[in-house]
Amino acid sequence: MGTLQSSATAARPAPLPKGTAEGAVEGAVEVWGLTAHYGHTQVLFDLNLSIQPGEIMVIMGGSGSGKSTFLRHLIGLERPSSGVINLLGQDITQLGPVEMLDQRRRVGVAFQGGALFSSMSVIENIKLPLREHTRLDEKTMDIMARMKLEVVNLSGFGDLMPSELSGGMLKRAAVARAIATDPKLLFFDEPSAGLDPVVSAALDDLILRLRDAMDMTIVVVTHEIHSAFKIADRITILDHGRILEVGTPDEVRGSENQRVQSLLNRRPDDTPLDPEEYLRRLAGEA
Amino acid sequence: MLNFIEQTGRRSVRALDEVGYAASLLGESLFWTLFGRRWRQPVRIGSVVAQMMQVGIEALPIATLLAAAIGFMLAVQSLYSLGLFGAESFAHVGIALALTREFSPLIIGVLMAGRSGSALAARLSSMTINQEVDALRTIGINPVRFLVAPAALAMLVMLPALAMWANLVGLGAAGLFVSASLETSFASFVANTVDILTPADLLHGLGKSALFAVLIAIIASVNGSLVTGGSDGVGRVTTRAVVHAISAIIVTDMIFGFLATR
Repeated sequence: MGTLQSSATAARPAPLPKGTAEGAVEGAVEVWGLTAHYGHTQVLFDLNLSIQPGEIMVIMGGSGSGKSTFLRHLIGLERPSSGVINLLGQDITQLGPVEMLDQRRRVGVAFQGGALFSSMSVIENIKLPLREHTRLDEKTMDIMARMKLEVVNLSGFGDLMPSELSGGMLKRAAVARAIATDPKLLFFDEPSAGLDPVVSAALDDLILRLRDAMDMTIVVVTHEIHSAFKIADRITILDHGRILEVGTPDEVRGSENQRVQSLLNRRPDDTPLDPEEYLRRLAGEA
Repeated sequence: MLNFIEQTGRRSVRALDEVGYAASLLGESLFWTLFGRRWRQPVRIGSVVAQMMQVGIEALPIATLLAAAIGFMLAVQSLYSLGLFGAESFAHVGIALALTREFSPLIIGVLMAGRSGSALAARLSSMTINQEVDALRTIGINPVRFLVAPAALAMLVMLPALAMWANLVGLGAAGLFVSASLETSFASFVANTVDILTPADLLHGLGKSALFAVLIAIIASVNGSLVTGGSDGVGRVTTRAVVHAISAIIVTDMIFGFLATR
């Protein structure tokens, strides 16, 4: 019911595709037959996606395309109605609380607004995952946290409170917290949202640098086309909860799918309106 | 008419849903407190102590002021009403029993609902809106263990402690007024009060305040985590948490008092 507890009960996930033995997964992220509902409304429709280790996969789509919902399922904040979500060889829909805890250490998430804990300083935010998941002493945690701040070019800002940081600094501090435990898989939710072009470009460079320096698989959810084409090895286009296209930036750019081209060229959706649907909406029945 | 029945039905279901959610939050808090270490999710003593400082120590000045005012007011009213029958010398009986059994836990409970309950609801709701609760979960930290359990434990310790403090301050203030008014010594007021009070009277008040602590923590947590919307939502759930907590305290106080005195 509330946000403090898991919001949905897991339905029995779909079996693995034929010929796929559990544990023999090659991708860093493997999604099979993922479907999800909010109440009675289906929001994700049979999604299948494979992301290779060391790859930067950008998930794009317009508003209401389901990309944020997809991300929430990938990072284990929502339970799917059916399907398999394999992260680093483990199906997270099947994990118990303790196994999920171990899994969390290997996965980092940088949220759209940073989501730094406002009651803690920046350095305390970065030390929190270390404090929870390791038995390191305070001094070592301090050194490790300052190293992460160095990586995101925020050395010297550790003692500030999140409210004292600018938008770009907040996002970089969130990245520092997300990489605190040296995860193998890193998720970004709208990293460029709300940033000016220069700061946004610097964040794109940081994402590329992280992949190269720390050998990470990175999944970025964004609607910023320029940023997506700059950092992506491959791009997934989502629309109304379905995957329209998966391919390299060149393949996506050359796609013949009209909806993909509408998104890339920022053309409004020209879907003809069903008159009956329109009348129902006016009557407040939809 | 149909609309009214439908609305009433919806509200009843939602209220029942919230009661169920509150019960599950309480159970989960208890679980993490007792077994968290085994699941590698311990409730950190440091967090509990920090909450105790906020809930208890920082509330001492206002709790002292209110307790003194209540003690003084009880003394004034007791002397006035008993004076009608020429029985002022028995004022300490009513004051001591009313303070320890009723007024101290009640005034501290209401104070905590307004002060710490609202703070907890506002904190949880703004953390929910800013995705900090989501961030906790992705880091592998259970939000109930990290946010609710320390607050509930701190309140459970500090509310009875503050109620005990309010007893001392309230009785002290009442004693000063009574002894000055009746031209008797403060020591005789203390001696008479100690004579009349039994451990059961103190436990009655302290038991109530422990119950109020749990109510405040859980009601604030339920409302805080059910926030929707932006800053407007934070204000709404904070107000709702305080109103619900104070109402729950007063109703529980009545039921507790009724059952405990039969």
